[in-house]
Amino acid sequence: MSTDNQWLLRVRNLTKIYGEPGGRTLELTGPEFNSNICPDTDSIVACAGISFDLYAGEVLGIVGESGSGKSTVVKLLYFDLEKTSGGAWLAPYEQGHANILEASGQQKRRIRNYLMGMVYQNPREGLNFGFSSGGNIAEKLIMAGQMHVGGIRERASYLLEKTEIPVRRMDDTPATFSGGMQQRVQISKAIANNPPLLFLDEVTTGLDVSVQARVLDLIRELQQELGIAMIVVSHDLSVIRMLTDRTLVMKNGRIVESGLTDQILQDPQHAYTQLLVSSLL
Amino acid sequence: MNIIEVHHLSKVFDLHILHEKRITALHQIDMTIGEGEIVGLTGKSGSGKSSLMKCLHRTYLATSGEILYSGLSGAVDLVKADDHEVIALRRSEMRYCSQFLSVIPRVSAVDVVAEPLFRTEKNKDLARERARELLEALGLPSALWDAYPVTFSGGEQQRVNVARAIIERPRLLLIDEPTASLDPKTKDVVIGLIRDLKQYGTAVLCISHDEYTLDRLADRRLHLQAGRIMPSVTEAI
Repeated sequence: MSTDNQWLLRVRNLTKIYGEPGGRTLELTGPEFNSNICPDTDSIVACAGISFDLYAGEVLGIVGESGSGKSTVVKLLYFDLEKTSGGAWLAPYEQGHANILEASGQQKRRIRNYLMGMVYQNPREGLNFGFSSGGNIAEKLIMAGQMHVGGIRERASYLLEKTEIPVRRMDDTPATFSGGMQQRVQISKAIANNPPLLFLDEVTTGLDVSVQARVLDLIRELQQELGIAMIVVSHDLSVIRMLTDRTLVMKNGRIVESGLTDQILQDPQHAYTQLLVSSLL
Repeated sequence: MNIIEVHHLSKVFDLHILHEKRITALHQIDMTIGEGEIVGLTGKSGSGKSSLMKCLHRTYLATSGEILYSGLSGAVDLVKADDHEVIALRRSEMRYCSQFLSVIPRVSAVDVVAEPLFRTEKNKDLARERARELLEALGLPSALWDAYPVTFSGGEQQRVNVARAIIERPRLLLIDEPTASLDPKTKDVVIGLIRDLKQYGTAVLCISHDEYTLDRLADRRLHLQAGRIMPSVTEAI
């Protein structure tokens, strides 16, 4: 039995360094030095040598403490940041033969609009607070070539309903919404064009527990119903446990361990993961 | 035909954060589970029963040895299989039922039970119908079907847990203490439901301390002591 060719997203050696790296920057940083700052050049290794395959419909978690590089990985993949080196391939783009990180600006915009969605920790990064909530969704639909006004309004109300936002608030701006509602509008916008891949960067951080549960429910439901593959970045192990099939553990910009989520949580192999899991309340 | 063949399986925990302490949980385990066979796993607390079960489910990574699983699409060594391969098996034919329900907030009892069917059964109402039948058989009051199991008693949660584990008639069922907090009548129902799986060829490994359950449920017992299978008790009883 082989499951080798079913990847949706393939990432190899993804690396982001701030500042001018020296010849030994990668050798002198990482978890064994407990640092991601190069002692020779002071350059900062946000992430290095990141490789993994994400399968269609799979939910992958990335955990690690602040500064471990977990958000950098998704921001590189969503083109919010420029890679230093490495590659990423998406099966539906050029049949998976072209490195998306080297695509032209125009192609990258296309990939973002059709093939990916992103939900940020801070709704201000994902939403335009000058537009209404419906307008935010419409923006994403228009970028993907939807021009019919009736069609756009219909899709926007469907998405708001799906994410439990009262449709009568479609014309209000996200600034008038609570934090949980803002996250749910962000999710509607991110999935507006039915992308096969969704990035979620600390989406429940800072929300009340009951509001958190509602956002997590919504994510689980969407995953089950639409089969969207997701990368969930979180420092919260209960979020990871609830949502993901597989987990990468990051420290000082590197992956220190990867495995099935229940295995990572119950039989962690790396010293850092053992510490992380034993710190769980 | 064997669905599971375990050869020389060992599990050692390396606790890096406890001064590199090493704990050996399983020593050189050999065992099999046949198609349609129910194997009872016994032993004192700490003898390695759950460790063995978790190695079979890949929740624990075995340190050495092999776990050959004869799946619907071929044989696979669960010790070495790729994570994605294990995920695919867990979704379709392999189910682990722990002693305690790990509840999903804000999902009703019916949906918790029906969820394993949702992946293949597009008609959710049909899946829910099957879930209600099981909960009815298990004597869970119908008033609780649409409530959230997080608020349930231990025995009620256990019934939801068992129903969820058997609803899709898995090829391999790993079940930990399925009758521990149940009254005698419900015990019999659970035993009957698990024995019903034999006709579908399900291989079952069941941990239990309860003689009543083991007598009626298991075709054969394995007894663990300090991480080893005791030879005298491995024969059919």
